[in-house]
Amino acid sequence: MKYVSFILLLVVAAGLVWSPAAAQKQQVKLEQPVLLTSCGQSPGPLKIKVFFGRLGIDYVYNVQAAAGDIIAKKKEGKPFKSLIIVVGASLKGMGAAKVSIEEEIDRTKKLIAEARKQGMKVVGSHVEGMERRAQGAAPGDNSDEQSIDAVCPQSDIMVVRKDGDEDKRFTTISTGKKIPLVLFEKNMELSDVLKNLYQK
Amino acid sequence: MTPMIRKLVFGFAGLALLVFSGISFYQSRRLKEPVVVSDGVTQVVRLSKYFSGVEGTANDCNMYILEGKEPGATFCILGGTHPEEPAGRLAAWIFAENAVLQKGRLIVVLSANRSATTVTRVGGAYPPEFSIPTSWGEQGFRMGDRWSNPLDQWPDPEVYIHYPSGQYLAYVDVRNLNRCWPGRPNGTLTERTTYAFMEMIRKEKVDIVIDLHEAELQYPVISTIVSHEKAQDLAAIVSMTLTDMEGFKMGMEFSPKNLHGLSHREIGDFSDAAGLLFEAPEPFLDATRGKTNTEQLLTGKDDFVVRAGQHGLLFEKIDANGWPIDKRVGRHTSAVLQTMVSWTEMHPDKPMVCDSIPRYADVVARGLGQYLRNPALAKPGRIWYE
Repeated sequence: MKYVSFILLLVVAAGLVWSPAAAQKQQVKLEQPVLLTSCGQSPGPLKIKVFFGRLGIDYVYNVQAAAGDIIAKKKEGKPFKSLIIVVGASLKGMGAAKVSIEEEIDRTKKLIAEARKQGMKVVGSHVEGMERRAQGAAPGDNSDEQSIDAVCPQSDIMVVRKDGDEDKRFTTISTGKKIPLVLFEKNMELSDVLKNLYQK
Repeated sequence: MTPMIRKLVFGFAGLALLVFSGISFYQSRRLKEPVVVSDGVTQVVRLSKYFSGVEGTANDCNMYILEGKEPGATFCILGGTHPEEPAGRLAAWIFAENAVLQKGRLIVVLSANRSATTVTRVGGAYPPEFSIPTSWGEQGFRMGDRWSNPLDQWPDPEVYIHYPSGQYLAYVDVRNLNRCWPGRPNGTLTERTTYAFMEMIRKEKVDIVIDLHEAELQYPVISTIVSHEKAQDLAAIVSMTLTDMEGFKMGMEFSPKNLHGLSHREIGDFSDAAGLLFEAPEPFLDATRGKTNTEQLLTGKDDFVVRAGQHGLLFEKIDANGWPIDKRVGRHTSAVLQTMVSWTEMHPDKPMVCDSIPRYADVVARGLGQYLRNPALAKPGRIWYE
């Protein structure tokens, strides 16, 4: 009986070590200043911006940031150290910004390439749950998923609200690409996640 | 049956239909909806106070003004922009009949497009009225429509050209209050109404205008806050807090800069105030609905809409429990209260503190009828009619 209990304990412990929640503890540390942008023009980046303001994190919020912005910041002598790209598309947002999902993907690919060139850490984030997934989009519209594919597999770490991973989409990317995944349940927990990521 | 008798039978049947429908229409148009104002209401004024161009029209609506013991921000709640979305009107009703302000000022409108409360969808077979059960009996409300009554504004143009953007909109939206912002003084009745509201917003130095709506489940902008860029941080924090704390999900969308006539766009562009629009789910508005009756309107239960969801055609969940009116109204009261709380956290020098309003859980548990006051017990001078 004791032997069985010991085995069970080992199995549970192993599960904990490899669970997404544990990834939060072994996460990548990020540095400031941060460039916060979007791939899909959803309101998601605004949620991170609100917490950045409260935490006093040095950031630039530009939902249409281009690779040139990273280069310009370096020329100023204050290079960005990390890039957060919030995925999930809004047809309303893209319409207002007069961009297509293809243009968004092209812009973010160039951003990631420049960030890599400068040694910045890249964070792929999804913070609006299943409503900002293909299930919440207009019939035939797959722009949410396209934005995820453009960013998340190329990132150093992913930060995702748990209900957006209902179908294990982000867990699959995390496991397949060995990218740490930080899941949070409540919106307000995002504050602690960001605080931990940017803690010196 | 001879041809003459047949003609007479059909003639009398047609006449009877005309009489019955005429009586129904007359009664509905003149149904008096009592408002027993809260002790917190310090003034009731007409919209024409701010612009005489609506004086004597169907849209010279009441405005209930509540003042706190301490100064602070000024909020305005618009109910009845689209009267066929009753949760917006009823949530505003709860504020007018129950709210007590500690800090700040609140202006509550129950029939923003009063003309639209006097008609239902032509050819839509909508019920003319509906009733909400209370502990003292039932309170009746006009069903209303999305557009101003053609009896008050007619004819419609071939194409509606929005002023001042010049954007082309659907012809019928010339009577849609939420496509006519910011209005103009010499325009149609609906444009003069929004112009009068803009004058009120500017003169009363309103900080936040909250426009309460409902949406069909087949419409992507649902269960959400639509925000002008001036209030985006506020909307983001309200959306996150409601989703975390209240037991319902509330999203957030940006107000598109290039879509004109909407309150959340034009109020922010043409005044110092910021506009927010809240959407709750209303299966009654879905094109795939089954019976168009008061039961469907108030319970939000509809097998056909559920089936549409099973085919992946909806943007909000629905099951056999439907979307009862208590849930829809409770979403709005909680969202308004949370906006006040979050605003106060962000602007401690300009607070907005409101008491005696039930949150979502309270409205769902007790029923909204619990918060409608008995006109028979109203103190003199404390009862008004919409």
